[in-house]
Amino acid sequence: MLDQLLAALNATERAAVDEEEYNILQAIVEELPAFPAEVSQLLPILQSIQKKHGYLPRLALNMVASHVRTTIAKVYGIATFYNQFRFNPPGRNPIKVCLGTACHVKGGEILLENFERRLEIKEGETSADREYSLERVACIGCCALAPAVVVGEKVEAYVTPSKVEGIITEIEVRKEMAAREQVKNDAANE
Amino acid sequence: MSDNLVTITVDEQKITAPAGAFLLPVCLENDIYIPHLCFLEGMDDPPASCRLCLVEIAGESGPVASCRYRVREGLEVKTNSDEILRLRQLAFRLLVSTNDGSCRTCIANHSCDLQKIAKYLHQPLKTKRLRHIDRDYPALIDNHPFLVYEPKKCVLCGRCVYVCGQLEKGYKLDFAQRGMDSIVSLFGSELDPASLECETCLACAGVCPVGAMSSKKKWRSFIAELGLN
Amino acid sequence: MMQPMNSAKEKLRLLADSARERVRELKESPLPVIYVGCATCGRAAGALATIAGFEKALQENGLEAQIRQVGCLGHCYAEPLVIIQNPGFPPLLYQKIGAGEAGILVRSFLKDGSDPCYEYLIGALEADENFPTLMDYPRYLYENRVVMEHCGLIDPEEIDSYLAVGGYAALAQGLEKGGAWVLEEVKAANLRGRGGAGFPAGKKWEIAREVEKTPKLLICNGDEGDPGAYMDRTLLESNPHQVLEGLALAALAVGAERGLLYIRAEYPLAVTIMERAIVAAEEKNLLGADILGSGFSLEVSVFQGSGAFVCGEETALIQSLAGNRGMPQPRPPYPAVEGLNGLPTVINNVKTLSTVPSIIRRGWQWFRAIGTEDSPGTAIFSVVGEVEYPGLVEVPMGVTLEHLVLDVCGGIKDGKEFKAVQIGGPSGGCLPAALADTVIDFDSLKKVGAMMGSGGLVVMNEDTCMVEVARYFTDFTQGESCGKCTFCRIGTRHLRELLHSITLGEGSLDDLADLEELSQAIIKGSLCSLGKTAPNPVLTTLRFFRDEYLAHIEEKRCPAKMCRTLIAFYIDLEACARGCDACVACCPTDAIFTTSNRKKAIDQLKCVKCGECVYVCPPEYDAVRRVSPPEMIPDQGVEPLTEKEESQA
Repeated sequence: MLDQLLAALNATERAAVDEEEYNILQAIVEELPAFPAEVSQLLPILQSIQKKHGYLPRLALNMVASHVRTTIAKVYGIATFYNQFRFNPPGRNPIKVCLGTACHVKGGEILLENFERRLEIKEGETSADREYSLERVACIGCCALAPAVVVGEKVEAYVTPSKVEGIITEIEVRKEMAAREQVKNDAANE
Repeated sequence: MSDNLVTITVDEQKITAPAGAFLLPVCLENDIYIPHLCFLEGMDDPPASCRLCLVEIAGESGPVASCRYRVREGLEVKTNSDEILRLRQLAFRLLVSTNDGSCRTCIANHSCDLQKIAKYLHQPLKTKRLRHIDRDYPALIDNHPFLVYEPKKCVLCGRCVYVCGQLEKGYKLDFAQRGMDSIVSLFGSELDPASLECETCLACAGVCPVGAMSSKKKWRSFIAELGLN
Repeated sequence: MMQPMNSAKEKLRLLADSARERVRELKESPLPVIYVGCATCGRAAGALATIAGFEKALQENGLEAQIRQVGCLGHCYAEPLVIIQNPGFPPLLYQKIGAGEAGILVRSFLKDGSDPCYEYLIGALEADENFPTLMDYPRYLYENRVVMEHCGLIDPEEIDSYLAVGGYAALAQGLEKGGAWVLEEVKAANLRGRGGAGFPAGKKWEIAREVEKTPKLLICNGDEGDPGAYMDRTLLESNPHQVLEGLALAALAVGAERGLLYIRAEYPLAVTIMERAIVAAEEKNLLGADILGSGFSLEVSVFQGSGAFVCGEETALIQSLAGNRGMPQPRPPYPAVEGLNGLPTVINNVKTLSTVPSIIRRGWQWFRAIGTEDSPGTAIFSVVGEVEYPGLVEVPMGVTLEHLVLDVCGGIKDGKEFKAVQIGGPSGGCLPAALADTVIDFDSLKKVGAMMGSGGLVVMNEDTCMVEVARYFTDFTQGESCGKCTFCRIGTRHLRELLHSITLGEGSLDDLADLEELSQAIIKGSLCSLGKTAPNPVLTTLRFFRDEYLAHIEEKRCPAKMCRTLIAFYIDLEACARGCDACVACCPTDAIFTTSNRKKAIDQLKCVKCGECVYVCPPEYDAVRRVSPPEMIPDQGVEPLTEKEESQA
């Protein structure tokens, strides 16, 4: 199925599919048959793909369309309508700044700017090394702990602009520690 | 629709119409013009999205879209009260505030519904009071083998999506994105042209009220005539 | 041998008896039991670290105890919340228990058994002569918990803990007396939809019941998108079986065979808990085929919304279920008559359904005695913002805003002034403190231009700019507009642009007239309720806080000193201390420099006005000033320290 799909594309589009994406697409080919081939399943299917792979690769939309026997335009229309879906891979540390009412009043916007400055990416983008991605979210329902930021799966409460640096440093330190651990383990294994 | 005829009053004029018919086409047939963009004759489920066809109906709490209001005996309709006129004018001003307003170089010049409605509502085609909102899209999308789409002219009436959806085979058009970013997507046009029936159909271009969706062939010759290309 | 059983009630009695037995075992356990509030908010405040802290301390001290995860009590200001049931003591509620405090509690209270750590204690859950009880606190005294009665006290993952407090008894009763009876009870109770508009639930059910087409569908709307409201999430996470029981009763009244929980994708914990609750209820034959032998069957599943505020609107929600873009559809047809796939579809809010079991259990007369004549029952608000005790509050309808803010929630933080409340989220309005005597019910709020909405309530003090609040909500709704109809798609965008330029100090008086004209037209002309209510924040702020708009336009001044273009920060050299570097260290843009007399000053060109220096400046100096308009900065003759001087220092 996948190779057929790729063959139908023009050369530039085909070249844009790298190995990583190819593997994801291959996995999706195997996942799709588990879903009933019905249009009403579109959202659950797209959600499941995004949950597993972090984003919706462009060609996955074509695959989903042919699985539920509808047009690519329809699948694209749905995927772009809902806030949940993204079309590029997220960073290893996705950062979501809550901009619900309570967080906004307490300076969520300023936090977002600080992250943008610190990470040198804009909201909605992923850093070049894929380490970070930055998003705004409407409300995560932690209003009494405002302003809140979600780092990975963890909610950080009462964040202040100067805590932004701390959050990033913590991630960097953990990364550094993991790397050293890795080196140690590798040495031990040898 | 039943064959029962009912009598309704539109702006003090008595009209007979089949019970259950939509009010807008009934008015149009009786030479009572009501501006509209998204409605097409034959729709079962009009989207009522352009909001230009609002009218007042005795007994209803607010203005209603005449395109999907069904006529019944004794209906009293006002199509030209001050309030209705103001609402329509504002809806129109909103629509043109997002348009590029380049009538002279537009393929639909002189056949555009917006021009017609502007005349009817005594509104200029460029609003002065409301600022212009530039939609973040290229002026021209021409990756489809048989169609060109000019998003900045599009009023998002959805006629093209509707007619394309009515075709048994076609259905390549749909809306994408949301809110002010909404757009008609030609997704799927990167596929082999031979698999598309668009070349002989072009129904979408035929129903576009403003010249945002056009046949590529016609558009090219229009541009050549303008001497712009 | 199985006893022959003939009624749903008897079957339930057996289930409830064994549940009570199990819960009693836990209650009378010789081991201490530690309950930790682990709903999303508790976890955000570090509840999982608290649990780890308890586990570690128990191990270190060679003690045994049971640790249970419970839902949310709604006292978000005190998270992480812990209840400790130590034999010989009443159950005690503690606040702000991190891993460290957990260790102290284990050592002082559980190990030595002597010191119940009064410093962290809120109070005892039961009356006790040695401890203050929760009822001694205004927050508990003034609340009337009907829907939230068991939230935070029972284990949401344990169906027995719901059965033991009388759960599913209403369903058993309903199954015996029949759907028509349930319908009549709820109609007599005049239960109005808690999703915002207040449409009578009974009436909606009756419409769908009378339609002949089957199968019918009952949907629980948990697509809580209002930024600033989270009570639906709390109810789903803290008492899932109450939602399911309400859903089953509603389905019984309507004659629906399928139930669906539509939950926002942003609430992953709620989704997991509800999915498990459905399985648990099916295992006990409280959902699924032939419930309790009554012949009534109900298949329930969870559907995750994908993050579109507009899908809270019924017709848009149905579109998204069908695998379409969530665009609202014109009505009629109403969903109760012709909904998903053309079949009768009833959509009720989480709070509405959660209220149903108590109505059935205690009777409509009981319900009507709470609240007001036209809005009976209780209202749940998520009170956030500048109050002393933010969190979820359940009060009877008919109390005043003032009572809610000043009495129940402890008044405004830091002794500041009560300026306004924003009630009802993006569809609601901003009411000034002067209108705080407004009674909270569906109709009174509508009269003053606000709305019950989903129950978000943001309390604001004098530091919140009302123009900016209007801009925020308009920005939200215009971003969430589905884009279908002209007035909402383009009209709200113009509102946003106008408000934005006013907050930048670029507005004109004409803009105010335009805001009003556009707002009125959007209300009249929009297709769905999202558009029809979107201008409420604009209109209410224009009405009650016009002077703030005028200050922005005529004086380029933001009275609340919030709009960043119109303010500036400077450091008062009189107050600044030599040698203190707190502000320098915190500034994200290195805008603060040392002056020639070794104090600090702000480079206005570099300053991004984040305000962090205000917070870090030690209170004994309190030297950072905020002014509006920016030209108000006094000339203090600041000279930067030269490099030479710096190296000497």
